[in-house]
Amino acid sequence: MVNVTVDPLTRIEGHLRISTEVSEAGVINDAQTSGVLFRGFERFLQNQDPRDAALLTQRICGVCPTSHSLAAAGALDELFGVADTIPKDALVARNINQALNTIASHATHIYVLWGPDLANPGYRDVLTPLGETGTSVWKELVGRFAPISYKLDGQPVPAGSSYLAAIPEKKRLQEAIAVIGGKMPHQVTSFPGGYTYKPTVGDITKVSSYYLDVMDFVSNYTLRVPFETWIENTYKASSPTKALNFVAEHLQGLVDKSLESNNFTREAGWGDAELYTAFGSELIGEKILGLPVSLKHDKHGGYSDPSKISFLAYGAFYKPEAGDGYDPKSPEGARFQTSGVVTGNLEYQKLNPDLITESVAHSFYKGEELHPSKGVTDPFTDPAEIKFDGGSESRYSWIKAPRYNGIPAEVGPLARMLAMKEPLTTGLALALKENGYSPANTYTRMVARIQEVAILANELLKWVTVDLDPNGKYAVHTDLSMAKDSEGMGLWEAPRGALGHWVSTDSNSKVVTYQPVVPSTWNMSPRDGAGVPGPLEQALIGSKINAVDNASGVDYSNPVNIFHIGRSYDPCLACAVHTIDLSGKNAPRTLKLV
Amino acid sequence: MNTGKKNFAHTLESMDFLKMDRRTFLKAVGAVGATAFLGTYKTEIVSALEFAETKIVWLHGAECTGCSESLLNGGNPDIVQAITKLNVNIAYHETLLAQQGIFVDGRAANTSELNSEILVDELIEEGNYILVVEGAIANGPDGSGRYCIIGNRTFKELFEKAAKNASAILAVGTCAAYGGINCAASAIEEITDFRGVDFKKEDQSKGMLQELGISKPVINIPGCPAHPDWILLTLGAVILGKIKIPDDLSSLLDKYGRPKVFFPSGHTVHENCPRRGFYDRGEFDTDISGDKCLWKLGCKAPYAHADCGLRKWNGGNSMCTQAGSPCIACVEPGFPDCARPLYVEAEDKGVLLGANIDNVSKAAVGAAALAAGAHAVRRMKGDE
Repeated sequence: MVNVTVDPLTRIEGHLRISTEVSEAGVINDAQTSGVLFRGFERFLQNQDPRDAALLTQRICGVCPTSHSLAAAGALDELFGVADTIPKDALVARNINQALNTIASHATHIYVLWGPDLANPGYRDVLTPLGETGTSVWKELVGRFAPISYKLDGQPVPAGSSYLAAIPEKKRLQEAIAVIGGKMPHQVTSFPGGYTYKPTVGDITKVSSYYLDVMDFVSNYTLRVPFETWIENTYKASSPTKALNFVAEHLQGLVDKSLESNNFTREAGWGDAELYTAFGSELIGEKILGLPVSLKHDKHGGYSDPSKISFLAYGAFYKPEAGDGYDPKSPEGARFQTSGVVTGNLEYQKLNPDLITESVAHSFYKGEELHPSKGVTDPFTDPAEIKFDGGSESRYSWIKAPRYNGIPAEVGPLARMLAMKEPLTTGLALALKENGYSPANTYTRMVARIQEVAILANELLKWVTVDLDPNGKYAVHTDLSMAKDSEGMGLWEAPRGALGHWVSTDSNSKVVTYQPVVPSTWNMSPRDGAGVPGPLEQALIGSKINAVDNASGVDYSNPVNIFHIGRSYDPCLACAVHTIDLSGKNAPRTLKLV
Repeated sequence: MNTGKKNFAHTLESMDFLKMDRRTFLKAVGAVGATAFLGTYKTEIVSALEFAETKIVWLHGAECTGCSESLLNGGNPDIVQAITKLNVNIAYHETLLAQQGIFVDGRAANTSELNSEILVDELIEEGNYILVVEGAIANGPDGSGRYCIIGNRTFKELFEKAAKNASAILAVGTCAAYGGINCAASAIEEITDFRGVDFKKEDQSKGMLQELGISKPVINIPGCPAHPDWILLTLGAVILGKIKIPDDLSSLLDKYGRPKVFFPSGHTVHENCPRRGFYDRGEFDTDISGDKCLWKLGCKAPYAHADCGLRKWNGGNSMCTQAGSPCIACVEPGFPDCARPLYVEAEDKGVLLGANIDNVSKAAVGAAALAAGAHAVRRMKGDE
C-alpha cells in the first residue's frame, strides 16, 4: 500500500488536501479530504448589526460572492419579516445577478480550473500509441485546454485555444454583473427587503449585449450545434430517453463524419462540449458511439454504496410569474430550480431543512452534532492537535461534516439537475445506472455543469429582456427594529451547490448566531460520528489513480484521476472553512477623516 | 484612437505616471484609459521584451481568491496582454497553473512540470522574482501558523522562505495588506492572529515581516478585492522601472504603504461619487433602491481613500455607490471594523477621532452648508 497525497490540490478555490492509500494495482482503498485553513467567519457577526451579513459573508468566497450575499439576504428577508413582500422586480434582479455569477463560475471551472487536466501527459501516454484517432484526440486536448506557463518534457506548450478564448468571456460576464450589481467580485446590491439598485433601460440593453457576445463564444467554441436546437431537444425534450437519444444521434453524426479522417476539430463540428461528451465516457463513447478509445471518466469518482449518499438541492431562482414575495422554506416546485433530495438509488424526496445536522467528530472543533441554527464554532487551539496525517480514525479537517437525515449528500450542478429532473442529465444518470455504473461520477458532474450553463443562459435572456421592469419596484422598507428576537433561514444555490445561511437575533436586533453551511462543506466533508466518509472521500475510494483505467501502468507520481475526481466537484475551500468570527468586542476603530 | 487622444498620449510619453500629481494622473486615466496609458511606454515595453522577463510568484494564504478573480477581470492591459507585452512570467499561481502538490509516501514526487511544491521551491531557490501575496497569513495558534498548512508546511513558513528571496513584495488585497476580514474583531481574533504582510490593521509593528524579522520593500494594493488596474499598473510601473525599488517607495507610498496615485491621501471616494450632487443639495436616501446620496444609509465614502469614483469597476461599468450600496471603505487598513455597522451613519459610531460630524451637520442649514461642514471637519483635523 502506498500513500499518495495531493496537497495542495490547485486550480480550485482555496486549499484542499487529499490523502489516499493506493494498492499495487493502482486502486484507492482509503481516502481523507482535509480543509487545511481555519479562518473563523461565523464568529465575527455575533453581537453585530445583522444587515452587515449580506456584504460581509460574501467575503467568504471571491468566486461565488453573489450566492453568499443572496443566501444572506434570504436569511435577512425572513429575519426582518419581509420575505413575502419582496417586489417581483427585486427578485428578478437577484435572479439575473445569480445566473450571471453561476455561468461565469462554471465557465471558469470548465476552462480555467478543470480543462487543463485534459492536457495531462498521462493522456498523451495512453492516447498516442493508439494510432491516428488517439493522436488526433490528444492533439485536440492539448491544443484546446493547456494552461498558461505549461511545459511537457521541458518544452513550453502554448496555452490552449479554448482556454485563452474563455478568459475574456469570463471577464465579460463579470462586467455584465457589475452593470446591475455595482462591481465584481463582491457585488453590492443584496439587501434585506429587495435590491439596492434600479436597473435602467440602458443597463438592460447593456446586459443583453454582453449576453450576445458570450453566446458567440458558446457557439464558436463550446457547442457547435445551434444553441436553440440543443435546448429544444435536451432541456425541453419530452423525456429523458429522448434527450439522450438526441445527443447520441448528434454525436453519432459527428463520429461517422470524422472517424475516417480523424478530424476532431471545431471546424468539423466538435465543440468542446461535443468532444468531451463523446470522448469523456466509456458508455457513451465506446459502447454507444463505437469510438476506439475514451477517457473513461464515467468509471471514476462514483459511489459504490447508494445507501450512503444522496443528492441535495435547496432550490434557487424565483419564478417571476409568482409575483411579489417568496417562501423562505423553498417548497418543492416553488423556484425555477426546485429544492429536493434524490437518493443514491435515484428516488425523489421533498426537502426538509430540519433534517440537516453538522458533525465535528473528525474536525478540529469542540462540540456535538447540531442543526445549523444552533451551530457553534469552537476551534482547537493547541498547535500539536492540528495534523492531517492521522488517518481515517483521527480528526483531520477544518471542514465540518453536514449530513441530511444522517446521510452524506453531494450538492452542485448534478444534484440540482437531478432534483429538477432535467431530461439530459436524468437520462444520462439512468443509462449509467442501468449499465452498472454509478450515476454520479466525474463525467456526469461535468456534463451536468455544462448543461446547467445552457439552461441558465436560456432562462437568463427572458429574465433580462421580458421580466425585468426598469420602472418596477425594487424594495420594501426595513429598519433595524423589525429584526428583534427573530430568526431567519436563507436557502439558495451557489454554483457549487446548496448554500444555507441561518441567523438569529436578540431583543436589541443584534446577531446571536450566524451559521452558513456551504456547498464544499457537504462535498468535501470528512467522516461523521458514525465513521461514514464524505462524498468526495467515497468517490475516491475504489477509483483507479491513473489515466484511462491505469492503461499505461501504475504511476503514483501522476495520479490524474485524483485530480479529476477532486476537481469535478469544483471545490471551494474558502467557503468550506469559512468560519469567520462576526462577534465582536467591536472596539471603536479609527477611520481617518480627511 | 483619435488624433486628440494620440497627441495627449504623446505628451505623456516621457512622464512617469506614478510620479504625477493626482490631478494630472486622474485626468489622464480618465481621458485615455489604461491601455493607451501603457501604450505611452512603448519604447520601454520593447526593451523589456528584449532584455528581461519578470517572474511573479503569487502565493495564496487566508483568502477568497477574489483578488485573483479581479486580476482576470483586468482590461487594458488584461492579463494576457500583461504576459505578452510586459514579458511577465506568472511562474507560480495556485489557481492558474497546471501543477499541484504530489507526495508519495510523504516525499515530493514527479518534477516541477507537475508538482507545484517542487516548482515553488525551485523558483524560490532561483530568486529574482516579485512576490505577490493574496490573503492574510495565519500566525495562530500561539505563533505556530498552524491555522493554515499547505503542502505539509505552514503558510507562514512558505511565506518566510519566499519573502527572503524576493526582490520586492506586492501585498494584493486588504487581507494581504492589513489582514482584512480575517482580522475582524471577534471572540477568537486573538487566537487566529492573522497578519498582513507588512501591517496588522493600522499597526506596522505587527506585520508578518516584522514578526519574522525580515526587511523587504513592500507595496500594498488594498481593496476587497483590489482593482485590477491598481494591480496591473503598479506591476507595469515596477517592471518598466518607473518605480525604482526601494528608492522611490517613500515618496510614492502613503503611510500605509499604498501608492498615493491610486489611494490619494487628500482625496476620498466621496469627492467623485456619482451621487455627490445629491449630497451637496442635502438630498439623502433613507431606504434602498433610490438615486440619492447614501450618507444616511451608512456610506463611508468620505473616509475611503481610493479613486473608485473616477476609475469605476469592471470595464468602467459601475461602482458600489452608483449601484445604491454605501461605500464600506474596503481599502482602509481598519476594514471591516472601521466601517461597521455598515448601514449606520458614521457619526453614530464615535470613530471620528473626536470630531463630531453630527453636531456640524445639525448646525448646518441647507445643502451647501452641509458640504462646507465636511470641509470644516477636515480643516479641524489639520489635513487641509
